Amino acid sequence: MTQKELHNQRLLREAEKAVMQMHTRRHFIRESAMGLGGVAMAALFGCGPKKSPASQVLFDPAHPLMPKMPPFPGKAKSVIYLHMAGAPSQLELFDYKPELMKMDGQDCPQSLLEGKRFAFIRGVPKMLGPQAKFAQHGQSGAWVSENMPHLASIADELCFIKSCSTDQFNHAPAQLLVHTGTPRLGRPSIGSWVTYGLGTENQNLPGFVVLTSGGRNPDAGKSVWGSGFLPSVYQGVQCRSEGDPVLFLNDPDGMSRDLRKASIDAINQVNAEEYKEYNDPEILSRISQYEMAYKMQISVPEVMNINDEPKYIHDMYGTKPGESCFANNVLLARKLVEKGVRFVQLFDWGWDSHGTDASLAIDLGFINKCRQVDKCITALILDLKQRGLLEETLIVWGGEFGRTPMQENREGKKMPYKGRDHHTEAFTIWMAGAGIRKGHSYGETDEIGYSAISGKVEPFDIQATILNQLGFDHEKLTYPFQGRPFRLTDTRGKVIDEIIA
Amino acid sequence: MLLTITEFLGHFHPLIVHLPIGILLIGLLLQYLSRKEKYTAFKPAIPLVLLLGTISAFISCITGYLLSMTDDYDESLVSWHMWMGISVALVSFMLYAKEKNPEFAINKKLLALGLFVLVMITGHLGGSLTHGSDYVTKPLKNIFSGDSDIAVSAIKPIPNVQEAAAYSDVIKPILETKCYSCHGANKQKGGLRMDDSLKLMKGGKDGNVIEAGDADASEMIKRLMLPVDNDDHMPPKEKSQPTEQQIALLHWWISNGAAFDKKVKQLPQDDKIKPSLLALQKAAVIKIESSFIPKTPVAEADQKVVAQLRESGVVILPVAQNSNYLMASFVTDTIIGKEDIALLQQIKDQLLWLKLSDTNLSDEQLAGVGQLANLTKLNIAGTNITDKGLTQLQSLQQLQYLNIVNTKISSAGLMQLTSLKKLESLYIYKTNTATTDYASLKTTFPKTTIDTGGYEVPTLATDTTLVKEKKTY
Repeated sequence: MTQKELHNQRLLREAEKAVMQMHTRRHFIRESAMGLGGVAMAALFGCGPKKSPASQVLFDPAHPLMPKMPPFPGKAKSVIYLHMAGAPSQLELFDYKPELMKMDGQDCPQSLLEGKRFAFIRGVPKMLGPQAKFAQHGQSGAWVSENMPHLASIADELCFIKSCSTDQFNHAPAQLLVHTGTPRLGRPSIGSWVTYGLGTENQNLPGFVVLTSGGRNPDAGKSVWGSGFLPSVYQGVQCRSEGDPVLFLNDPDGMSRDLRKASIDAINQVNAEEYKEYNDPEILSRISQYEMAYKMQISVPEVMNINDEPKYIHDMYGTKPGESCFANNVLLARKLVEKGVRFVQLFDWGWDSHGTDASLAIDLGFINKCRQVDKCITALILDLKQRGLLEETLIVWGGEFGRTPMQENREGKKMPYKGRDHHTEAFTIWMAGAGIRKGHSYGETDEIGYSAISGKVEPFDIQATILNQLGFDHEKLTYPFQGRPFRLTDTRGKVIDEIIA
Repeated sequence: MLLTITEFLGHFHPLIVHLPIGILLIGLLLQYLSRKEKYTAFKPAIPLVLLLGTISAFISCITGYLLSMTDDYDESLVSWHMWMGISVALVSFMLYAKEKNPEFAINKKLLALGLFVLVMITGHLGGSLTHGSDYVTKPLKNIFSGDSDIAVSAIKPIPNVQEAAAYSDVIKPILETKCYSCHGANKQKGGLRMDDSLKLMKGGKDGNVIEAGDADASEMIKRLMLPVDNDDHMPPKEKSQPTEQQIALLHWWISNGAAFDKKVKQLPQDDKIKPSLLALQKAAVIKIESSFIPKTPVAEADQKVVAQLRESGVVILPVAQNSNYLMASFVTDTIIGKEDIALLQQIKDQLLWLKLSDTNLSDEQLAGVGQLANLTKLNIAGTNITDKGLTQLQSLQQLQYLNIVNTKISSAGLMQLTSLKKLESLYIYKTNTATTDYASLKTTFPKTTIDTGGYEVPTLATDTTLVKEKKTY
């Protein structure tokens, strides 16, 4: 290649480049004229993001848990959510179905099986009549089975919702749906939403406390009290129900409280410098969490200690100090609420009555589970009542789904014990206190308790109702994430007005 | 037979009508441009374009007339549209004639301008007939009112559905959004006009649409219930359909006599209709009416005082957003500071709820609390107060909730509070009141629910035993 050819080639390249530059610039301007025009149009016609006071972020990174006022005066100041993980059978507790007894042992009609999916039932199962005796209780005449004799005695304080339904028939997704509004991971739990929206009154204690019993965490794991995309300060604080409620609460040997304070101050100072540099609000949350941890060293042992409670209270709840049990957690829940904790979440594992062994049999282990919770829950309601706190404390009891009117036949075989499979179409939860109608039953299931025939509600409706009692419009409590405001009930949810007094 | 052919031809009107609009406007444009030297080449085309425009205008007139005979539109609007349309055809013909024969003694510019105006007016009137007269301006209204939701549903939420008028608040909005566009002031398809109660009950060409008291026999309900694909289904498939709830409401209203002057609460409601009715008020902001909050508004509290209290660890908040009333709680800081009670007195107009439970509250401080005249809720449980201090609360005339659980108060002390006429709930668990006094307390406070507590949950044999499997050998 000669010098000249090379030269020409270079000239050509330069010319091409110039043309391309011209072209792209023009192209760009032309495109942007249209594009900008479109954007301008959209803005003119009101398609752009709206800034309304309702969608404001309630998060103040420096004081994330400062108490806030609700949008309208709520009846409830605190919530105690009692979750029976594994899903208790509504057919042996509150949903009395004499017709089902008549079908006991018969083959399940095809009409109930067609197009349905079950977790374990295969082929044609047999129907299983109610395995408990029922009676009507209180002036309201609520049906409660012999499995919960104590609760039956205060039926007039409760409001049963017998027409609950869900669309998840496995524990983990169903629990997530109940507590976070979606069967998938990643959304904030209801306690997180509530502490995000309301903060908490007692600045020395966490706003959202979680206690578990039954030997296992719920199947969905800690995500059921996670904070999802909300700032992490709103996630549930799980306290141990045996030994120290929070590990490393006591000052280690040779470490004085002053020294501890000094070291926390130093850490916070470093974090504050860090915040100045990066402006990440999570750093401020971290600072406030350190301060909270320091304060909790004094406040938590006091409030989390049930040993100081008088004997008659222990007798009332049936607590066993020193052990890890549901009754202890229930008593703790009362103490926490009394001290201004916003949301207390109790999970009790062991309600998954499939009939695979005696502890999961509907006529054996299930009854024992009932005996573990019946007395203490009754005591909780009465204790809150006599302390004048039931008016402002909402109690919710329930599982993540119901159980089938059919006897489970895992792998199509007869099971060694009587049990019921997971069931999505009907289950019962109840609420009490904080402006909920007393002595009322809402919704109905069909003759055999297979599906809800009136007043059908979804987990979203329960969530909407809980938020309503706390003073929120569930459609307005939002947090911006991934370009749109999210809320607990997302696109669903209707407050169940009929159960509000 | 003839009628069907007429109808068939008439239905071409909406199609053909666009031809004269386009062609005539192009003719006018060419005419305007051709005056410039650069575009003189257009000149020969102008007469042809105008002729085509004129012909299509005449055809539009004919098909339009046929259409107006078969469908029921607002008479005056139709007649205006018709005469304007005829004028368009005539004027465009005149313009064509002028182009062909320039000696015609008419001002061409005036003629062209007139034609342009006529085309616009006729077109607009035509649009009003099919889409309603506010079709163009409605989106603008929404933009300016800043509420795009109106475009989605014109049905406004009802604050209290039971007090609402059954027809004008519940039924009419449904008809307005789903029916009026074809059976309203502008158009009365099938001779039916629904925006007027008398005309609605009179029905259309084929008779009544509403049989008061018998919804199932009413043509309106029948048509609503037909499958969407059925030709008689109303509203027509391509229009927006009412929801099931809306149909249920219409059914309910007709079944109960289709009255125009009754309130919702005056009509019988069964369990099925209740949710649909309630749903109407759902969209509205449900405000929990709280008897603990006075209805009369109050001025904002001195923010300096509020800040000072907060500084000393008191939780102090408005009872709700947009309310100046306050609640205060000493739950975090259980030691009442020297200044605290005095500060609370400075915001006594606003302070409604006060929680002093488990604090070091003394009788002396309680005297200060007794001056917080607007208090509706007071919790002094677990404090060291005595009967002497309690006397100070006599002046709390608004008090509805009083919690003295776990204090040294006796029945004698409580008897001093008979002046609290509004007291609704009184919690006296673990006080020095004797069980024998409960009866007399009940008679002293007849309107008050007194919770004496001391509930017991007896331990049953089953509570501590386990059910075990019966072994069979």
